[in-house]
Amino acid sequence: MIELLNLVDHPGVVECSSILKGKEVLASSFPEQYKNHATIAKQSFNYVFATAAKMKSKHDEAHLEIGDKRLSGFLLKGDLILVCLSAKDSNIQQVRKQARQASAKLLKDELEELSKF
Amino acid sequence: MAEYKVLFTGSVCSGKTTAIKSLSDIETVDTDTSVSDSAIRRKRKTTIAMDYGILDLKEDSRLHLYGTPGQERFKFMWELMMSDLVHDAEGLVLLVDNTRADPFKDIQFYIEEFRDFIVRRRLIIAVTHSDEQEFPDHHFYMNRLKEMGLFTTVLFIDARDPSSVLEVIKELLDHKEKGIDWEAMGERLEVNSTMPGAVKQDEVAQTEDISLMDAALNTRGIVGAIHLDDKREVLSSKIENPHNREILKAMVNLVSALEKKAGFLGHIEDLILCGKDQETLSVFVDEEQALGLCSDRELSINVVKQQAADLLQWSKE
Repeated sequence: MIELLNLVDHPGVVECSSILKGKEVLASSFPEQYKNHATIAKQSFNYVFATAAKMKSKHDEAHLEIGDKRLSGFLLKGDLILVCLSAKDSNIQQVRKQARQASAKLLKDELEELSKF
Repeated sequence: MAEYKVLFTGSVCSGKTTAIKSLSDIETVDTDTSVSDSAIRRKRKTTIAMDYGILDLKEDSRLHLYGTPGQERFKFMWELMMSDLVHDAEGLVLLVDNTRADPFKDIQFYIEEFRDFIVRRRLIIAVTHSDEQEFPDHHFYMNRLKEMGLFTTVLFIDARDPSSVLEVIKELLDHKEKGIDWEAMGERLEVNSTMPGAVKQDEVAQTEDISLMDAALNTRGIVGAIHLDDKREVLSSKIENPHNREILKAMVNLVSALEKKAGFLGHIEDLILCGKDQETLSVFVDEEQALGLCSDRELSINVVKQQAADLLQWSKE
């Protein structure tokens, strides 16, 4: 999982990231100084994606701007959520691009696992 | 005959049409129609295609003045103008309305939109409406722009006053076209002045009865909205899709909770939820009110944010 985060973190775009499975943090590159942001992201994105799922909607991307930061949550598959922290004025398209890379990597890994059988 | 071109851009009400009218030696070409955007609370007419005028600099040189439409729904015209009509322009004049809640958001928005265009030519930021709102002042602009990594000229002008707008042109062309009698030109253009006394206020007066909800639902791409007060109580709501309504309510609740519990991290500005083939749901917050929007997925997040900022700001007037 940490390899995935290495793929996502990119100077000037994504400062740090984490992967959540429900309330559990599977991997994180959030430094100590952003632990509050990580907590807020975990609670907020779980809540908002769970609400969307309850309403049978396919919303899978959320952005929360707080202070001078932006927290972005991407529903990868199942209940896996990729969280990215970036500067509020950073390019949101680039953040998306980084997240897509993670999504593609997950899919590739999954296919490789399947091909073993 | 030496021919120069300059492009004026900026948000609705920033003074593009007025600035071009102030400078033009010919009857300007404008293409106004009814506003169909978040600007409706501010004015009823807006430019749809472009503004055009001509300023005679000397006997053998002249300047073509082009103005983009301000509303985002006519953005295709920006592209068209940049790639064709004004691809050889000397510079871009970005008009910034100083009464906006955060003029630097506008600057950032337009810099992004015109990034490729300004890489190769001069950018001048011309701040308007500073007679209504003095701050941010020149010093503040210079400091903030420096922080944004933008090193450019900032002039405070009154778009209604030809000699004031002429300063922008002087800044742009003085080094390039020598021998222009700027003073005489200023006197000649005085007839174009629309300074107080000559300004028709009727358009502004007509707009007072339009509610924020009407304005929101009149905005292109917005299909539903919730307006909340400073306690985050619902003032009015119109969202047809019951699922989206429930999700947006949950988002409003979440933002309210975050404001209480995570306020120490800074102001919660917005929460946006998107998805493939899904309408974009967003909540925007300021001190006095909050706005939930349900918008077409085709609208970019930056455009939705810009529209929400306009709606929230003008609802205070």
